[in-house]
Amino acid sequence: MKALIKAEIFKLLRQSKTWYALAALLMIEGVILFSAYFQGKNILDILLDNLKKSFYFEGTLLNGNLLVYLILNTLWFHLPLILMIIVSGSLTAEYKDRTLQTIMLQPVSKWKFILSKYIVAIGFTLAVVGMLALTSFTLSYGLFGKGDLIVYLNTLNFFPSGDAFVRLQYAFVSGALSMVFFSVASLTLAVIFREATKTWIVSALFLILSNLLLKVDFGDTIFNRVFFAKLNDTWQNFFYFNINWTLVYTNSLLLCGYSLLFMAIGILLFHKKDIG
Amino acid sequence: MRWRLLLWGLLYLPASRAQGIDPDLLKIKNRMDSIVQFSASLKLNVDVSFINMPAKYARMSYTKGKPLKFSSEDFVMIPKRGLDFSLNSLMEFPFITVPRGEEIRNGKTYKAINIISTDKRADFSIAMLLLDIKNNRVAETEINTKKDGTYNLLLQYENSSKVLPSLVEVNFEIEKIRIPLNFMGKDTDIDRKKMRTGGSKSGKIFLQISNYLIKYL
Repeated sequence: MKALIKAEIFKLLRQSKTWYALAALLMIEGVILFSAYFQGKNILDILLDNLKKSFYFEGTLLNGNLLVYLILNTLWFHLPLILMIIVSGSLTAEYKDRTLQTIMLQPVSKWKFILSKYIVAIGFTLAVVGMLALTSFTLSYGLFGKGDLIVYLNTLNFFPSGDAFVRLQYAFVSGALSMVFFSVASLTLAVIFREATKTWIVSALFLILSNLLLKVDFGDTIFNRVFFAKLNDTWQNFFYFNINWTLVYTNSLLLCGYSLLFMAIGILLFHKKDIG
Repeated sequence: MRWRLLLWGLLYLPASRAQGIDPDLLKIKNRMDSIVQFSASLKLNVDVSFINMPAKYARMSYTKGKPLKFSSEDFVMIPKRGLDFSLNSLMEFPFITVPRGEEIRNGKTYKAINIISTDKRADFSIAMLLLDIKNNRVAETEINTKKDGTYNLLLQYENSSKVLPSLVEVNFEIEKIRIPLNFMGKDTDIDRKKMRTGGSKSGKIFLQISNYLIKYL
């Protein structure tokens, strides 16, 4: 199993599209940071407009913490799209190049092979989120400094710089679970569709539908609480003044459960299907 | 014509003679003017229904004739009214005072007066002050500004000898925030009706002031 995982990591790092994807992500991050700076100005103008009548402000809210928060708001759509392309591509490429048949001629268990792909996909996703977290904090703090974070979630919430940093870190961890879910789902879709273009289209559709359904209010129903699309903004819970930890833990466990379910379906289908 | 002038004199002359400046207010103003400089530590607590903000800390410094200065490592919201202990903003332009009798607060009797601006440049129309004549200081103020609504200030002092307050409660009116839907974060929990109507809310800010360093004339 270790050898399979090593081989998968080697293949992932050897393929040029992995590095193109990372470069694309860093570029997107830079553009988001740039636009977040101007977006941040407008947001602060709107948020503080009626407070200006009664208060003088000392200190600035357009700082690294606000920019990381704005990056997070945009990142969770672009990032899974690129992750899904890379992760699903790791299997569809093997179907296309027929290297899968060569591997299966070796004494390699089918379920171990596909499990190693899932493990590497999860590891890669976590590493990418980690890299983006690191670069987001470094760039934002380096360019715009630290300061209080202001967030509007039904109420205007102000967080001191230290508290904001901790909450943003939690948000990255929570967001990473969503990213893992989308990566795992795309690999399962690759098992089903085998062909790269079809898989990418279905993966993109899956992501878009998830984002659209996230905004649909299904009322106060269990479905509204446990449906996978509804779990993908769990990270926002860290920006309520009082964090609902029960909700965060429940959503995170559910998201892990969904990831395991998609993984199990993928392994089962791969095991049952012919390679040819 | 002559009887008209007589009637005007009878009606308006006593009133205009009465509308001078209250001597107790002048005494307090003179006492405040004896402060040429002070600095103090400030702890701010905001109590507004739609704002969640932890306690904030700042330093403030005042030099006579200059606006108050604030410095803080945090982001702080300083109320526009409530820290003008010198009463300069009320007495900057010509005004008259009208006695309003006495008022009782927490068992203590205070002299009530109205300050009415007679100059268009003033940013307030009328202010009500409760004066603590015994200790020569202001206990409560209600300022009706021309643009920013009404401010009510309650001042508490550490002891009877103190000239500057240790606790100031500022009550003010504030418009409910109006944010476009789908703006920053989730939007499904937003009360759409409330968001459309906006409306006015009252807010409070508590200022705890300590470590005064005062320089007198």
